[in-house]
Amino acid sequence: MLTKKQNLLECIRGGNPDRIVNQWEAFSRVIANPVCDRTLDADGRMVDEWGVWFQVAGQPGRMPMHDMEHRVIKDFDEWQDYLTTIPKGCWDNAAIWEPLQAQAEAIDKNEQFVMATVFPGMFERLHDLGEITDTLMALYDSPDEVHEIMKIITEVELEQAEAICKYLKPDALLHHDDWGTAKSTFMKPEMFEEFFLDGYKQVYKYYKDHGVEVLIHHSDTYGATLVPYMIEMGVDIWQGCLLRPNELNKLVDQYGGQISFMGGIDSDAIDKPDWTPESVKAGVYDAMDYMGMADRRKFYIPCLTQGLNISTFPGVLEEVSKCISEYEEEHK
Amino acid sequence: MSLLEDISSAVLRGKRKEVKALVPQALEEGFEPQQILNEGLIKPMGIIGDQFSAGEVFVPEMLVAARAMSTGTDILKPHLVEEGAEPLGKACIGTVKGDMHDIGKNLVRMMIEGKGLEVEDLGVDVAPEQFVEYVKANPDCHLVCMSALLTTTMPEMANTVKAIEEAGLRDQVKIMIGGAPVTPAYAEEIGADSYTDDAGQAANAAAELAASFKA
Repeated sequence: MLTKKQNLLECIRGGNPDRIVNQWEAFSRVIANPVCDRTLDADGRMVDEWGVWFQVAGQPGRMPMHDMEHRVIKDFDEWQDYLTTIPKGCWDNAAIWEPLQAQAEAIDKNEQFVMATVFPGMFERLHDLGEITDTLMALYDSPDEVHEIMKIITEVELEQAEAICKYLKPDALLHHDDWGTAKSTFMKPEMFEEFFLDGYKQVYKYYKDHGVEVLIHHSDTYGATLVPYMIEMGVDIWQGCLLRPNELNKLVDQYGGQISFMGGIDSDAIDKPDWTPESVKAGVYDAMDYMGMADRRKFYIPCLTQGLNISTFPGVLEEVSKCISEYEEEHK
Repeated sequence: MSLLEDISSAVLRGKRKEVKALVPQALEEGFEPQQILNEGLIKPMGIIGDQFSAGEVFVPEMLVAARAMSTGTDILKPHLVEEGAEPLGKACIGTVKGDMHDIGKNLVRMMIEGKGLEVEDLGVDVAPEQFVEYVKANPDCHLVCMSALLTTTMPEMANTVKAIEEAGLRDQVKIMIGGAPVTPAYAEEIGADSYTDDAGQAANAAAELAASFKA
């Protein structure tokens, strides 16, 4: 029997996986941003290394605060006046990485990948700084300025990547960046290519050149039209891919061998406060049937679409794993 | 191409500076403000909404078009008031309590404005009592639009519908809901009047619902 790690590699390389890869089983994660002070203030808010304020308390994740008082870039045309906190030169510091190093070292590397986790992504960073509506309009109004900001974001990402590879030595990376909604990408593919492809190519190449064997990009959205760019960037697994909006079975057939897909089990539909074993089973079996998992083992990993190995409501992640195993057992 | 077509084309391309120059020119040339609004500004927003629903244009194109339209309506407003024209209706919109997501809500607001409705944006993290307070203070508001992007905040939609009912305001308003985890079945379950799939469809539904109050 292959280890979880070997089985995943067989799956994404088109070899001979001896079972379905079940969600995140092959990965052990290390959250990799020790630069940011995650201390919350009395109102449950925090500020990150770029000066972006987030509401954390009461939110499932950190939500950027974009009222004019808190927004970092208030005007893209005058971005230099506003973007004054650029976290460069702060990543290569052994002391801040020590606790994460200990986490990474404790992972059984025969069984699991050491998966460093980076979020927000570069597009998300841009709209964390400038608010999403204004950011999307800036792609039209201020393209030169956006390019300049993206250059800085890329430089910082590269510094972060250097430190992650130096101190954690991960062999997998989960990089978060939502590039659309459930219906479409945020922007037309050519615009995505113009502003984001090059930066991602640089950053992902760095990881690949420095020990990362499996590069996972998270976007729990529609994104079928961006798959060719993901391949060009060097993404091995698109995690979070939505099932029907992307016609995921067709995507796997079309691109399997160049990229693999991990997701399809819709967190929005399943991960609810009133979940039951029956409701989870219905959702999982629906996705498994849609993907033809009675016969499919390669290039697809059934998984909740949420971007980490967690669920919002306790027990859902584990129940999904159980249902995937049961489905496989029933279809032997 | 006629001047109104030029305005429409500028809106479709998101060219607010062109709109800013062309709308006063149209007024000077004697076009009625209502005609400029309908044919030059509202019509292209309908087109772009349909294109968005069909996946032919994307969020940035919608945003810059909506902003160009807004530039035009700002110029027309005093003239429309003078003419005695009334907006199609009044709506309020907000992302529900506990939810800070605003892109979907902003898009829907812009598209509904593009249909000629007046929309009050209550912002994000809007509590049921804030919706109630606004509706109570604005008897001409006949449409409440709610957005939720999280499964954890969806129940606030039900709470808001309930709060509106308990305040005795349910007959005053139609309620529309939307957002990634929201479904038509959920809309029915909580007693909302309309669920739509995207901003373009939301604008069409809002216009229909608002018109039902005018009938």
